[in-house]
Amino acid sequence: MLILFLVFAVVSIRPEFWNEGVSVRSVIPHSAASDAGMANPKANSAPLNKETITAIDNQPITSLADYYAYTAGLKANQTVYIKTNKQIYPIVVKELKEITVLNETEWKEVEEIITTNETVNGTVQAVNKTIKTTKEVPKTIEKVIGVEELGIKVSEAATTNIRKGLDLEGGTRVLLKPAGQYTLEDIDTTLESLKQRLNTYGLGDISVRKASDLGGNDFILVEVAGATEEEVKDLISKQGKFEAKVGEKTVFVGGQNDVSYVCRSAKCSGIDMQQGGCYQSASSQWGCNFFFTISLSGSAAQKQAEATSKLEVVAKEGGQGAYLSKTLDLYLDDKLMDSLQIGAELKGRATTDIQISGSSQGITQQEAVYNTLASMKNLQTILLTGSLPIKLEVVKIETLSPLLGKEMLFNALWVGALALLAVALIVYLRYRKPIVVVPMVLILASEVILLLGFAALTGWNLDLAAIAGIIIAIGTGVDHLVIITDETVKQQAIIDWKEKIKRAMFIITGAYLTVLSGMLPLWFIGAGTLKGFAFTTIAGLSFGVLIARPAYAAIIEVLLKE
Amino acid sequence: MSFKEKLLDFYDKKYKLLMIIPIILIIFAIGQIAYQTYQTGDFVHKGVGLKGGSAITLYKESPVKEMQSFLDSKFPGEGISVREITSAGKTLGLVIDSERQDKDGVAQLVAAVKEQSGANAQEYTVEIVGSSLGESFFKQTIWAVIIAFIVMGIVVFAYFRQPIPSLAVIAAGASDIIVTLAIFNLTGMKLGTAGVAAFLMLIGYSIDTDMLLTSRVLKRKEGTEIEKIIGAVKTGLTMTITTITAVIVSLIFIESEIVKQIMLILLIGLFVDMIMTWIQNVGILRLYLEHQRKKAHAAIKN
Repeated sequence: MLILFLVFAVVSIRPEFWNEGVSVRSVIPHSAASDAGMANPKANSAPLNKETITAIDNQPITSLADYYAYTAGLKANQTVYIKTNKQIYPIVVKELKEITVLNETEWKEVEEIITTNETVNGTVQAVNKTIKTTKEVPKTIEKVIGVEELGIKVSEAATTNIRKGLDLEGGTRVLLKPAGQYTLEDIDTTLESLKQRLNTYGLGDISVRKASDLGGNDFILVEVAGATEEEVKDLISKQGKFEAKVGEKTVFVGGQNDVSYVCRSAKCSGIDMQQGGCYQSASSQWGCNFFFTISLSGSAAQKQAEATSKLEVVAKEGGQGAYLSKTLDLYLDDKLMDSLQIGAELKGRATTDIQISGSSQGITQQEAVYNTLASMKNLQTILLTGSLPIKLEVVKIETLSPLLGKEMLFNALWVGALALLAVALIVYLRYRKPIVVVPMVLILASEVILLLGFAALTGWNLDLAAIAGIIIAIGTGVDHLVIITDETVKQQAIIDWKEKIKRAMFIITGAYLTVLSGMLPLWFIGAGTLKGFAFTTIAGLSFGVLIARPAYAAIIEVLLKE
Repeated sequence: MSFKEKLLDFYDKKYKLLMIIPIILIIFAIGQIAYQTYQTGDFVHKGVGLKGGSAITLYKESPVKEMQSFLDSKFPGEGISVREITSAGKTLGLVIDSERQDKDGVAQLVAAVKEQSGANAQEYTVEIVGSSLGESFFKQTIWAVIIAFIVMGIVVFAYFRQPIPSLAVIAAGASDIIVTLAIFNLTGMKLGTAGVAAFLMLIGYSIDTDMLLTSRVLKRKEGTEIEKIIGAVKTGLTMTITTITAVIVSLIFIESEIVKQIMLILLIGLFVDMIMTWIQNVGILRLYLEHQRKKAHAAIKN
């Protein structure tokens, strides 16, 4: 029975220590890799089932170092052939362009979608039409300044099916608490939206789940593996209620109903040179402006047309052109972000193309550029995915470095082996019989394998708390094996083996039931903080008591009966 | 009589006298906890996870004193505490605890720590806990402990069906927790989330030996009372000593702060448990059995 379970456990862990190569953690949207057809791995896929890169241009890739070394030497417009365990992807390396907007303007033919009222079959309907117009646009110069990254986030290929928790793999963990009134449905929608947001942002390896505590409070736990990016926090903690208003009237909001397209390519988004680009402000800080264009859906464009039709035309100072009496105000989470002046020619017209702009600061120019591009990416994501139904409050943030995780896993394994050895020594000193010690160590080792197999099968994350739970499970495991040994080997008065084992099991079952009942409350407190610990302890104890310990009793019986 | 026999004889005859030890320990523990509550308003030093605030763990060697004075001069009056983490006598790095909870405040602190130590982004981890979460977590933990004891009491009673021995098991567990908490307070360490788990785990360990004792004494027919007790002591001490060995090994070599605190609390608790099980619980059990015998005797006389 034990052996059967052991085989099962090993099959689910599926150790493949010979695995080489790097596995695809996530693929950034609109990158060269995603254009070539590479897809993000599914969130719930087992570690060994992730796509693994084995070679690039017939050069074998066996480690992260290989991957980075090879991709660093790529040139623009070069085609690389990335071979994975699934197929070969020809990827064309993209140029990284810097667009400088000059002070001059030029006339260019552009396509524009407008909505007009037309009479169709006797009724007035709003119809979208694409027209070609010539517009005065700022002149730009494109300069290639390097190559864009392929857009694949990679990690060392997994050698087992055991999922490592954040403590061991590194990443960011954020605990959020919904504020105000909400329903359970709201929470479910929020979970979905957050997942979508993080995916849209380009983070693949994420876990978003609901947690609650004994006090009936609900929480949302977000774990982003392999990422320590600061902006992630803003991305998930913001409700992201984006509103564009003309006066008091809301014209459009974030999300796919109103916003049909958000430009994220270098052609129509980036640092806005026309608005001065980056500048140094009085307080020795740097600031930059960003811009990107979006397309509105027909209905949103129509709303805008209605809102602007009643406005007055005001002449610009200096007499060049004219604009409308009210501005288009952009609000993010009820805070005014920017006010755009609306050109007089747009009065009552249903334009679908709108340029959004904003700014951000930094201590150095470089930092300002970085922050500005980050907040632009944030806003683009919010516009694409819409707002969350509830406001969220960050109650706990943890960032864990992956480097530490690796060392800690190694350390924990090593300490576990050492502790097992020490226990074996003590047991030997007490009984002086290898015949007792050897099965005991084997049984304890198989308990650990059973637990790990169970973790792999259920997709449970192995983190530090869980490792502590495993240590505890081994600890009580030894205790119970000692009880069995004392009741059988040392007990001389009773000859009947069945009676001996029955007595040992009586004590063990009593202790097991009591500890189990003590562990259950832990499961529910602190929004899952101790859930991993409680879970591993309960699972470990249960496997031990139900499978491993009866097996030990049987082995001892066979070995010592003669 | 050899020394061993004398010792066993003393353990057998003077069990009532020996019970002074656990009683003194419990009185001392309650006194310590009361004093602690009077001094600080809380019965235990709460860490960041329970009180709210931030903890920066730096995995890079950097002198403690210099970091402490640097942070004190940069952020005066904030009571930022710096402590070392060591493993097998080797310094691994520092933990910087503060009451700062807001993102910007913590970022300033991180910047200062980086400035002083020259660490890169790979070499530190940051944990921020809002105070509301810390408070509610702590309250719930206390509730969880109370619920755990009630449920375990029911389970133990259902198992033995005798109220006094069942209460003795629970009492041994409870006094173990109280005394361990007092000793933990004396170490000056701050209790973190993992420490709370350790205390709950301790309940399990402590109950294990008490269940062994009670099963052996109440359910066995063969042997005298003291023979059964001595047999249980032998098995129980083997159990506790193997566990203590494993705990000490982990305590010395583990690098994780979280696991370290769990192990330390378990170590204290296991030592206290030996007294609580083999003196206190044995004492109550023997007093109870003596009382039962007298009652039976009186019943026969009448």
